[in-house]
Amino acid sequence: MKNLFLLSLSLIALPALVAGQGGIYEHGSVVRMHMGECTLAHHGFMTAFGNSATEVPQESCPEYTLVSEKVVFVLVGKSSNQLIPLAETIDFRLQKNELAVRVDDAKHETKFAIKEMMVRSEWDRIQRHMDEQMRASQDHGLAKSQD
Amino acid sequence: MTYRSTVSEVRLLFFATDENRRPVPDLQGNDFAVVDDERVIRDFRSFAPITSTKVDLMILLDNSESVGARFHEEIKVVEELLPRSTSNSNDNFSVLSFSGMETHFICASDCGEALARDKLNSITPRGSTPLFDALKLAASVLIQHRQTDVLPVILLFSDGEDTISRASFDEAVQKILASGALIYAIDFADPGGPSNGSAILRTLADDSGGRTISLESGAEGISSQIDADFRAAYVVTYASPATSSEFHSVGVFPTRNLNLRLRSRCGYYHSHAP
Repeated sequence: MKNLFLLSLSLIALPALVAGQGGIYEHGSVVRMHMGECTLAHHGFMTAFGNSATEVPQESCPEYTLVSEKVVFVLVGKSSNQLIPLAETIDFRLQKNELAVRVDDAKHETKFAIKEMMVRSEWDRIQRHMDEQMRASQDHGLAKSQD
Repeated sequence: MTYRSTVSEVRLLFFATDENRRPVPDLQGNDFAVVDDERVIRDFRSFAPITSTKVDLMILLDNSESVGARFHEEIKVVEELLPRSTSNSNDNFSVLSFSGMETHFICASDCGEALARDKLNSITPRGSTPLFDALKLAASVLIQHRQTDVLPVILLFSDGEDTISRASFDEAVQKILASGALIYAIDFADPGGPSNGSAILRTLADDSGGRTISLESGAEGISSQIDADFRAAYVVTYASPATSSEFHSVGVFPTRNLNLRLRSRCGYYHSHAP
């Protein structure tokens, strides 16, 4: 079942992979942003070259949820000031195991680590469920305050 | 059947500068997005530059022993600010001093008069520093005075080294955020000389959407820096996204030009419409 799911995800992401290799950009919109751990960017380097006493830097890195037509990506910046412009639509392409976003009116790209990928329909379903739970919780709170 | 809306409107003040800290006076509504509790918001109910606004200005004056070396300089600057700040009759103005276990109103609504100057010149540095208690009290007063379209601003003169408050730093920040006050922290430390107090002042200012200014700038420098800020000040309103948390973190980010520097308060307390 898990293999089938991964195969489905790969097939859905295939156009983006092909587009990335050919330099064609996909389009998406950033819907969430927060400052989180720089774990993905830092841990790989430190594991390869550091010793057991080496500490991972405690810097915060921006984490974005990028929604495209078929796939939702969670991206992590490599430093605290690596930002994505929050335009309605941004251009991106997959490059090896990173996601390159076009910035500065297409003058250059900035690369982000991919923390997570999810099929868009699954993400939409989860968001609907969370919104319903939120509304139910608010209605319950409102009803209590009116009693 | 009665319908009650649970969507409340957020009114967010922010400042726009370029990478060289110059004001950006012509920002457009599609140049930025607001991130409210991690959600990116691009649909705004309104957006406009601030052309003129009434201000509820409170000067918080540290007259504790620790500021003794720079106390006379502090008093001189505050005194020079008095006539400037009361020249606009649409603004509220007050001065509150704090030291030891006490805070005192030096003046409120009568700060343009000679009596206020006399009171100012009669105070002396003494006692410990109840900075966080003073900030909580100032925020409470501003909340009591709160009016629509009046911007609460605190000019905080201090070395930032609290020594005696009952309130914690976090409690003071919470109260300031609840009041919506903008803090301009006038720092007594030597520029370039790091100190714990300077870090406290910088956090207070940053979290409120204001900034720190060195006491060495003098009254004219302080006024001109605040005036420059307000030449690049904007207000945006939007529907507050529904979340379970009472406190919403907030930030303003560019949509195209990553060299834009957009500064706002760090968050606000959400309350449902009555």
